[in-house]
Amino acid sequence: MEHLNIAMVGATSQKTMRLLPRLGKKATQKVAIADHDGIVTCFVMKRGEAVLVLKTLPWQKISRLDLGGAAGTPQEKIFVCSGSRIRGFTKKGKQFLTFEVNLARDINAMHVLGANLFVCASYIYNHYCDCKDQDYYLSGDKINDITCLSSENLTRFVPVLACQDRVLRVLQRSELAYDIKVPGPPSVLELYNKDGGEEILYGTTDGQIGLVEIGESSAATKWEIDNDKKKGGILCIDTYDIIGDGVNDILVGRDDGTVEVYGFDNSSEPALRFEHVLSESVTSIQGGCVGKESYDEVLTATYTGWVTGLTTELQKGELGPGDEVRISKETQSKVEALRVELEQLQAQVLQGRQLYYQTFQPTIFIVPNFSINDTFTLCQDDASYSLTLEVQAGIDNLLLQSDVPIELLDVDKDFVVVSLSECDSEQPNGSFLLATCRCMAYTTRLKIKVRTIEGQYGTLQAYVTPRLQPRTCKVRQYQIKPLSLHQRTHSIDQERPMNRLSLVGQFSFAEIHSWVGLCLPEVPDKTPAGANITFYFHNTFLGTQLEATYCKGEGHFKSDNISTISILSDVLSKEATKRRINLNILHDINDDSVSQTLKIIHPKLEYQLLLAKKVQLIDALKELQVQEGNADFLIPEYRSILDDSTILLEEYKKHSAHLERLYGMITDLFIDKFQFKGRNVKTKVSSLLGILDNYDLNSLLDFFNEA
Amino acid sequence: MEMLSILHLPPLESLAAHLNPQLMTPSSRNPTLPLKADHFQSAMTERTNRAATLAVRALNMSSMLAAYQAELCEDMATNLDPVLWEEIQLINWLVNLDKSQTFAAKAGTRSIATMLVPIFTLKLNHKINPRMVTVGKFDGVHPCLTAATQAGKVFIHNPHARGQRPAAHRLSQSTQDSDISLLNINQAVTCLTAGTLGTNTTGDTLLVGSQTNLLAYDVHDNADIFYREVSDGANAIVLGKLGDIPNPLAIIGGNCALQGFDSEGNDHFWTVTGDNVRSLVLCDFTGDGKNELLVGSEDFDIRVFKEDELVSEITENETVTSLCHMNGSRFGYALANGTVGVYDRTARSWRIKSKNHAMSIHAFDLDADGVDELITGWSNGKIDARSDRTGEVIFKDNFSSSVAGVVEGDYRLDGQKQLICTSIEGEVRGYLPASKDLKGNLMDSSAEQDLIRELSHHKQNLLLELRNYEENAKGVSETNSGMGVIPANTQLQTALSVRPATEAQKAHVELSISTPNETIIRAVLIFAEGIFEGESHVVHPSAQNLSGCVRVPIVPPKDIPVDLHIKTFVGGKTSTQFHVFEINRQLPRFSMYDVAVDSSAAQPTGRVTFSINDRPQRVVMWLNQNFLLPEGVDSPEVTFNSLRGGGLLSISMASNGQITLRTDDIDLAGDLVQSLASFLAIEDLSADADFPSYFEELHTTLTEVDEFHSVHQKLTAAMADHSNYIRNMLVQAEDSRLMGDMMNMKKRYRELYDLNRDLINEYKIRSNNHNALLACLKSVNQAIQRAGRLRVGKPKNQVISACRDAIKSNNVNTLFRTMRAGTASS
Repeated sequence: MEHLNIAMVGATSQKTMRLLPRLGKKATQKVAIADHDGIVTCFVMKRGEAVLVLKTLPWQKISRLDLGGAAGTPQEKIFVCSGSRIRGFTKKGKQFLTFEVNLARDINAMHVLGANLFVCASYIYNHYCDCKDQDYYLSGDKINDITCLSSENLTRFVPVLACQDRVLRVLQRSELAYDIKVPGPPSVLELYNKDGGEEILYGTTDGQIGLVEIGESSAATKWEIDNDKKKGGILCIDTYDIIGDGVNDILVGRDDGTVEVYGFDNSSEPALRFEHVLSESVTSIQGGCVGKESYDEVLTATYTGWVTGLTTELQKGELGPGDEVRISKETQSKVEALRVELEQLQAQVLQGRQLYYQTFQPTIFIVPNFSINDTFTLCQDDASYSLTLEVQAGIDNLLLQSDVPIELLDVDKDFVVVSLSECDSEQPNGSFLLATCRCMAYTTRLKIKVRTIEGQYGTLQAYVTPRLQPRTCKVRQYQIKPLSLHQRTHSIDQERPMNRLSLVGQFSFAEIHSWVGLCLPEVPDKTPAGANITFYFHNTFLGTQLEATYCKGEGHFKSDNISTISILSDVLSKEATKRRINLNILHDINDDSVSQTLKIIHPKLEYQLLLAKKVQLIDALKELQVQEGNADFLIPEYRSILDDSTILLEEYKKHSAHLERLYGMITDLFIDKFQFKGRNVKTKVSSLLGILDNYDLNSLLDFFNEA
Repeated sequence: MEMLSILHLPPLESLAAHLNPQLMTPSSRNPTLPLKADHFQSAMTERTNRAATLAVRALNMSSMLAAYQAELCEDMATNLDPVLWEEIQLINWLVNLDKSQTFAAKAGTRSIATMLVPIFTLKLNHKINPRMVTVGKFDGVHPCLTAATQAGKVFIHNPHARGQRPAAHRLSQSTQDSDISLLNINQAVTCLTAGTLGTNTTGDTLLVGSQTNLLAYDVHDNADIFYREVSDGANAIVLGKLGDIPNPLAIIGGNCALQGFDSEGNDHFWTVTGDNVRSLVLCDFTGDGKNELLVGSEDFDIRVFKEDELVSEITENETVTSLCHMNGSRFGYALANGTVGVYDRTARSWRIKSKNHAMSIHAFDLDADGVDELITGWSNGKIDARSDRTGEVIFKDNFSSSVAGVVEGDYRLDGQKQLICTSIEGEVRGYLPASKDLKGNLMDSSAEQDLIRELSHHKQNLLLELRNYEENAKGVSETNSGMGVIPANTQLQTALSVRPATEAQKAHVELSISTPNETIIRAVLIFAEGIFEGESHVVHPSAQNLSGCVRVPIVPPKDIPVDLHIKTFVGGKTSTQFHVFEINRQLPRFSMYDVAVDSSAAQPTGRVTFSINDRPQRVVMWLNQNFLLPEGVDSPEVTFNSLRGGGLLSISMASNGQITLRTDDIDLAGDLVQSLASFLAIEDLSADADFPSYFEELHTTLTEVDEFHSVHQKLTAAMADHSNYIRNMLVQAEDSRLMGDMMNMKKRYRELYDLNRDLINEYKIRSNNHNALLACLKSVNQAIQRAGRLRVGKPKNQVISACRDAIKSNNVNTLFRTMRAGTASS
């Protein structure tokens, strides 16, 4: 497939581009897209040019776009939501609906079905029929997306909410029917069959896709696709038969710019058929026929507002050399036209600039506003955080500042020059990381990996300066929580020996909830409904677990990792002291838990040690091989090291500093264990490191028991 | 011997079997050994052989083995013995590299009209050392890709003449791949090139440099042309004509020294430069029709030599790792920090910086527009071709591993030159220049799409900017405090001043930035090259210490003028959005010198005196421009304190135009002389100098050099003795093994092991001695360079060549006299 730029609009949100249904059998489809400037654009492609059908006036930022229409008629009415208002347009551009929903927050997800509007605003779900309030539900965590099932088999609508706490909530009127646990925080929902059916596709922010069948009282997961290749999170999904085998394929757009097409073999498991990488995050994806009749296309919209087509039509080659020239001429003339336009604009801008700096003397400068699309997420597999920043105008430079010790791992772009600056970490409130990233080439999206240490908490700040005149920069703050490497999970293994921490004191439910929120990631901002709540977490690096149960005046935490308990108790008591609340803290330390944790760490540590040893040998073995001519004389173990050397090296690179981190955590464990017993064992740390260097599980366990 | 090998092939039981007991098959000839002893023996041999392998590494054993092989061959002539044969086989197998395979070259079938694709791809199963790749026509006709590989070998890929050639001397045929021949250099190769050196050879000469030697080798005749010891090492090599010297020279750059050899191995050219040489290129820099030598070195300078006269100097901000000639006076360069760019004489046309490192650069006309492009091979395996004028990428491709070298040659023998790119894993790709009708458009349609995209983005940005101005013009409606709103009269004031050391802080240059009103400075980013660890320095005051004034201490490590690009984030105390002020300031060259108030401190003993024909006012101007003087000075009599702890610096000018610089730092004196001379446009300047303490030091160094030399010779003799022992012992041990005399064998191998350990220790001593020697030689070369820098133009070259002569004749007194007075006579 070839990729072709079609049009450009303002920055777009997730799921804001749709194709209107086709009219004739072979006719091309119209594209409807809404952007952050509040403009709804609808265009049709004619001879490679986008011809506008509809363009509304700028208004508030549009967060979703959906198509609707009376049941049985083509779904070609355009609905957009911005702020707390929903507007409807006909395909001719007539506005036939404005509807102000009565919700405290801005709408972030919407689904239209006939006369029914399903609207979500952070925690709230609302159902309107003919603009009349019908149902209402308050979810336990933020709602990311909504879809609604309606089919003959089902007696009523079944709305499904994708909630941040890794759960799909299936509703029945205003009540929760049941929930479906999914492996990651779901970000997008789409009907598998557009005409109905009970199957729903979901995509998660950590890049997984799955299909679930929704029943009356329970759901069944059909399949799931893991994110082995560590691609970005899913932002949009569509189904369309692009391959042409009669079965609908799944089109997926990710936040790292990857566009994927999954097809189905004879088995019902999906298989990756096609992949293309764009430079910006893909906010909407649609399959259809846009550019040329009878040529199917995958249409994508990116964050910066580019509409790009991946067409099945060959752009060159097969049609003979004459055609080739024509197309390149077309693009050439496009380029020319653009250049002329640019020159005119440049002149205009120069004038504006002069006005701004000289003649016109306002009392104040307004610093122009711009928006940043950013995420700060924990990657499960290497237990590091990845910060992605996306700016429509392109990033000129970025300043990273952190008041906690964190390690900057890498930046994925070639022409980004990263430079670490000296830090004043000794001073109070000093910085531990000061780094500049200067973009040499035009870059709209940056991904930076950082590694945190549990127990050390604070803020990471990113000052983003885009390529805009007058120069401005914007700060983004990211909290690094004390238990930064923990992730929410659905259940934990209750069999493990656990350490307990109990708090009793005069605090409200909301207070303890906010304290827990300070310590752990993925805790909803809103205080949960009900009198008490239980959250489960697991440590992505070590695999240890944590259970937090609390209510008004009481909090109970269970973990098999002593260090986790120690960090929690430190932070919680500090927070309580800040608010002058007297806390009664009780520790119940289970000595078995330490050896349990060490046993969990054991395979990781052993693997890392072996890897390090092997990698150390590679160079020497290679030289031997060259010197001797071949490697046949080596014992099989060494030969296998030589054969796998590239894999080993890659693995080693991927797990850089893994060993140091494990050592650090074992040391913490050691110190914490004895701290709870009231002993300071810092002097013994060096002998612990000595044991680690000649690692053996039993001797380590003995050391922990004896010391 | 060849006859024997064909007629009489005894079964081969390799040494490998002893290294690996599991592989051991019961030998048909030797069934008498009991099983237990067998195991024991295997274990023993494994251990001893490992030790022997170590010795191989330390000693470059392969040459020894070859000698041993020759001995065996002699024995073989008298005594036909399968055991001996086995021994020979073993040695052969050890010496030769093996298992190299050429995958069939994919002929360029795909049309080049749509896009540039490699016309051939080869996988040579040899690693290639970075930057050590060349193409030579060793028989005068067929180009051969030649590159240095691991373990001190050079391989020559010759796919054109697939004939058997005798394996002898240095050259040995790779056992499996007849296209590749291997050259044993027996030393780590540091640079190589090929080209016409002598007039009477048929083809190109291969030149291979190592840390201690330079070898000129005739591949075609399989003979050494010359083998010269070069004490300064050969980090870079270039072959060609220089200036008026009639014969082509092989010019090598070592530790601070440049040497040029002709086809007989006589050195016709010698000069010194500021630091270790990393890259060399010949190019007509001045446009006089003769080549000048461009030298890139580790002190970040590119120096231009017209024969041994230094005509120009360009200061960059990192080690100059590669240079290449583009056309005319234009040349490309690459730095160790990932910068690549093009200079036209001393003016930089463009440069770009990447987080990857440029491994190799080359000029090649890939788009057939008549102008060479700069082809860069990067450490991440990327190859790109950039327009000579603008630096715009016109073509790119990717290797799976780092690029080792980029060269050109007519590899398909069809009369067209190809661009040949090699990766360190031994992958080779050849690209033909584009055909004419492509009109310089090498990118496929997706690249065009990218261009449209970029232009559209540009347009979008301009529109956004326009909207910003319009909004500003409309006036203020949203006075949201979170939004950055700052008073219009906000102007930033910057000032540079010199701060002497206090107890809390080291001496530094202070850059203070302040706002005139209540706005605060959230952060200051300074981008500058060569004065910070990275390319930037950030000051980010903590939330409590926010104010409208920020003081940034700067400590420039060298006396170079630095452009500071300052970005200041200005806004309100609680703003999340800030206005970015971008200011450029220049730090003068000699900024780390503070005017001394009391001159009671001891005057420096070192001094340099010279006369100029210029008004004192001009010197005052120079002072004001190049020093950070708070009030400026009005007379050319001034004394400074060096903040780097170098003591006092005093400058005085007599009424007759005689200037005396007093300092103990000879480098500083040189810098001052050069700076002043270029400011006053003085072409020739001779000077009288004396730096007693420095000269004293140099004197000690010179004595040390002699000592190191004698130690070196002693050690070499000892090593030769030991090698003989090893040879004997190995033979004895193997004899005992074959005789089944385990006791003796064990004993021999134990001895061998001890001897080997001794050798390794000795090697360490030798290498330490060698390094110390190199360091001394470097400082001697630097001393000459420094003495030269006290003068300008002709007197400078006279000093350098006179010093060189003094060293050649080992006349220390003349050397010092020359350094002081500028001439050897008197």
